[in-house]
Amino acid sequence: VSGASRPQRWVPAQSTRGTLPSSTDVLVIGGGIAGTATAYYLAKAGVEVTLVERGELNREASGTNAGSFHLQLAIHQLSGQGTEGDRERLFAEARLSLKAFEIWQKLGEELDGPLDVHLTGGWMVAETAEQLRTLHDKHELERLAGIETEVVTGSELRARAPYLAENIIGATYCPLEGHANPLVVAPLYALRAVQAGAVIRTHAGVLSIDVNGSTGARRFTVHTEAGAIDAHRVVDCAGAWSGEVAAMVGLRLPIRSEGLHVNVTEPRPPMFTPMIQHIGRRLTLKQTEQNTFIIGGGWPSPAVPPPRRYPTIWHSAAGNTAVAVSVVPGLADVRVVRTWSGVIVFTNDFSPAVGESAKVSGFHACVASAGFTFSPLFARQLAEHMIAPTAASPFPQRYSLDRSIDQ
Amino acid sequence: MGGGHDWDLLVVGGGPAGISAARAASEAGLNVVLIDERPSLGGQIYKQPGPGFTVPDPAAMDRQFRYGRSLIESLHGTRVEVRLRTSVVAVEDQQVVLVTEGSPAQTVTATRMVLAPGAHDRPVPFPGWTLPGVVTAGGLQTLAKTQRVLPGERMLFAGSGPVALAFPAQLAHYGAHIVAALEAGPAPNTADLFRIARAARGNAALLRDAARYRSLLLRHRVPVRYGRIVVRIEGDGRVERAVHAAVDSDWQVIPGTEQSVEVDVVCVGYGFIPSVELLRLVGCDFGYDEDLGGYVVHRDEWQRTTVGGVYAAGDGAGVEGSFVAMDEGRIAGLAAALDAGAISVSDASVAAAPARRRLARRRALSSATSRLYRVGPGIFELSTEDTVVCRCEGVRQRDLDAAIESTDDINVAKAYTRAGMGPCQGKNCQRQVAALIARRHGHTIADIPLATPRMPVRPVPIGALADHSIVGPTLFLAGEHERGQQ
Repeated sequence: VSGASRPQRWVPAQSTRGTLPSSTDVLVIGGGIAGTATAYYLAKAGVEVTLVERGELNREASGTNAGSFHLQLAIHQLSGQGTEGDRERLFAEARLSLKAFEIWQKLGEELDGPLDVHLTGGWMVAETAEQLRTLHDKHELERLAGIETEVVTGSELRARAPYLAENIIGATYCPLEGHANPLVVAPLYALRAVQAGAVIRTHAGVLSIDVNGSTGARRFTVHTEAGAIDAHRVVDCAGAWSGEVAAMVGLRLPIRSEGLHVNVTEPRPPMFTPMIQHIGRRLTLKQTEQNTFIIGGGWPSPAVPPPRRYPTIWHSAAGNTAVAVSVVPGLADVRVVRTWSGVIVFTNDFSPAVGESAKVSGFHACVASAGFTFSPLFARQLAEHMIAPTAASPFPQRYSLDRSIDQ
Repeated sequence: MGGGHDWDLLVVGGGPAGISAARAASEAGLNVVLIDERPSLGGQIYKQPGPGFTVPDPAAMDRQFRYGRSLIESLHGTRVEVRLRTSVVAVEDQQVVLVTEGSPAQTVTATRMVLAPGAHDRPVPFPGWTLPGVVTAGGLQTLAKTQRVLPGERMLFAGSGPVALAFPAQLAHYGAHIVAALEAGPAPNTADLFRIARAARGNAALLRDAARYRSLLLRHRVPVRYGRIVVRIEGDGRVERAVHAAVDSDWQVIPGTEQSVEVDVVCVGYGFIPSVELLRLVGCDFGYDEDLGGYVVHRDEWQRTTVGGVYAAGDGAGVEGSFVAMDEGRIAGLAAALDAGAISVSDASVAAAPARRRLARRRALSSATSRLYRVGPGIFELSTEDTVVCRCEGVRQRDLDAAIESTDDINVAKAYTRAGMGPCQGKNCQRQVAALIARRHGHTIADIPLATPRMPVRPVPIGALADHSIVGPTLFLAGEHERGQQ
């Protein structure tokens, strides 16, 4: 509508390009969803916080993932279900997913802006008898963990999901799965953080960190491309590069990263609402608000030297879309218009690295696999810890920054 | 993937540059394939009538048609393999992915590539530019050449550049009623004519064409008005009138000079811009030169780009017209043969010499006319906050203005607004977005890097893209890394 004033949605460039303050209580490193959320929750509680970002905000995994919330257990989570300890971890993760999901549902209200959070439900499909057995096992575990799913087969599946191929013999459905818009979440966190008093500096990549051997206001001196800053506490929110940042203080985080390939099509009339995953093949598929289809699911985008870093490759596009069209044959004449790649973070044990290091006091991290889903939760919990360490419940030992990176 | 051929040289683009390159390389002994998206060769300029149209009497057609046909026929008797209705959608080193209409994608191997992708109409956003009835010169020309159709009753032509007057002249020749032709550049003065006369040697055909177009306009009583530009188009759901105004030498609108004219078609032709998608995808270095259409690939005197084995020729490497394209294409084809060891440096130099002489003369004429045809920076300032800049995603300038407050990075502006995410992948809006960023942040447009290039270069149906023989990587498993996988 002409002349209507629009609410501000992004931090203006003039407030991210100024000089770096000489000191801060908390220095957050990384301008993705984990960093901007941490800065927001800290600033809202009145903590002095400065965030530095190497490039622009939200340009890496936080802004390049497909925005899905996965609640159904994935195959990697099922693979270690043999022992009691693994089962406990699985249940803990499931409960955590539900908690993260709760935050997401209220996040638009909290940040006072549209995040395009939609509960679409989600299918996880099986093509073989063995895969279907896995779906049944998965469903039983999910029931125990409190995640609502159902196994649907035969004519009921045809009736409820006529878009699925004939060779899909069964699927679990989870009504709570959905997505948000990854392009708007971190920028809005950043805007609200700045409005609450946080300082954000882009183009301020961290070069080195001095640990000054004392506690207190000058515990750390962080050297950046935009100058040096003293900090009482540091939070490593550098995602795929969080291992490099932690190494600057002598820690070895159990982090690795991979480039992932995503395909997006032209818009088409609505074909289906739920997200679609595959229990045995790499596929996530959904139709977006813009009616385009986003096809991903973990196909590689191998790293090459900068500036290209993670070019998308034909092999992944051809393989990924082959899985998609074999699950949803109606996609055959839809045109792929673009591919993109994003970097994804893993820990070998799939547990996050959240909390304060015991070895280097004052050094914190907030890094998680499935970081888009979990960062709002972990960032809030970490901020609560940093605001009132004694009041907040401790993080599980398996989140420790100091745990061994060797299996 | 699979099942590919091996070629010494793959030429992309079947226009004057591509045909000349393919022919020169083939005659020098290379094994050449020539790829074009259209159903026939000729490129945009020598576009041949579409399928179902026959030409019983070629002599009755215009000169351009005849010239194009003879160019295409020059491939007869060579060993060049021609693949039509085929797009290059991805390039990874020497692997080239081709999609032929109605067939699955095919990967072929080519040791060298001449990229001659040509140019497309310069998109110029201004109020009303998306109304039905506004057509580009290239689009209208395609309609006239391939379908023999003209839209509308009363047409206004607005544009600039060396071919700006050729379009209305040709269209008048085809029977269009053109109420006026606006040329944004200045009328030629005595000094211009003097400069042009001095550069006339070797350019007789071009100047004769220019004179012929002028006389066609006169004969069809089309008034030509210099130094005027369309500032907006009005109408209820379609073009009803156009408002034009005088501009200064930078194409900045002079207030108080607006005039309105009742028309049902406005044909817009502010020249062409190189189609750079493939050149960017393979990683060539670029410069910026508004006289050559903006983003222009770096190349040496043999048309080599900064990427080994990749050559660029024709309007896709800087818009200079079909004569330059032919000579550049010839040089690129010879260079590929030279670099492949098929001919010696001296043979290549001798064979390229006539083309180089012609190029020098064309470029002398271009510099003589650059005052007349230089695109002024005011071209980027016609859009208002209400104007749709990205047509694919319906993004208006005001949405972009808000995003650009927070960034000078075109990738970020794209992520925030979706400008450039549609089927055209920013071909039509990126330059305007770059100009908006440059204006807001005090840069020049040349300083704004374009968005990250990604394949596919053309939209590809999933049915053609999907390869069911590919075995997917295993799902991520705990400890996968330790088992020695990449």
